[in-house]
Amino acid sequence: MTHEGIAAKPSIEFQALAEHRTYLLKIARLELRDQHLAEDCVSDAITQAYEKRASFRGDSSLRTWLTTILKNRIVDLLRKQWREEPLDAPADEEGHEFDRLFDAKGHYLDRPSNVDDPAQLAQQDAFLAAVQRCVEKLPKRTGQLFVMREVLGSDTAELCKELQITSSNVWVQLYRARMMLRTCLEQTGFGRAPTAG
Amino acid sequence: MRLLLARHKMLRITCQHASRLLSQQEDAPLPFGKRVRLRLHLAVCDACSNVARQFAAIRLALQDWRERD
Repeated sequence: MTHEGIAAKPSIEFQALAEHRTYLLKIARLELRDQHLAEDCVSDAITQAYEKRASFRGDSSLRTWLTTILKNRIVDLLRKQWREEPLDAPADEEGHEFDRLFDAKGHYLDRPSNVDDPAQLAQQDAFLAAVQRCVEKLPKRTGQLFVMREVLGSDTAELCKELQITSSNVWVQLYRARMMLRTCLEQTGFGRAPTAG
Repeated sequence: MRLLLARHKMLRITCQHASRLLSQQEDAPLPFGKRVRLRLHLAVCDACSNVARQFAAIRLALQDWRERD
């Protein structure tokens, strides 16, 4: 047999990896909330990807592969950070911090706004910008966990394992993130165009 | 029928409880009992039906945000 299989494998140029830098940086910035840290993390991920380019199988896109490498670096970094920094707020395993949104019978005091078509709303630039702004306003750790879940795609079991926290902590933090985001988005009518005057 | 079931003491849940289940459901399938109670609640509660769509909009927006350059 010839070495055709090996010869046919496309070699990856450094430039092809670096083209995804802006994309990776956007994600790293939202996750880490620190421009310099994000830049270092992305540079490391691209360098690491280049060093092990031979292991890229091509069964996922280059961008997906790079994102996985970036995610692993972010997980290492967060795990270290979280060990050193104390929690933002005392763990509220029952989510009682949202009691004030409900009356004594557990009904919403302010009626949540209707969203006719979530998929359609999710494509609007203004709504995406509002979501990003609200995510950036979440308490740091809650936001980091939520971005790890919804942007980097970890499931709850992975979050427990990757970040070495309990599953009840994961559930309550994700609930907290979503409730804070919806409250934040309600301030601008949850995607409805602001009415003048 | 649904209305009656949703008001049944054993099956009735508050909006606050429903909101927690809606969030859980974003992350993993709910166990049968919780799923039934949530469905019955949503059938009679517009406020929580709105929250369900809000959570979906947030999830979809972040997926969209991620894919954009």
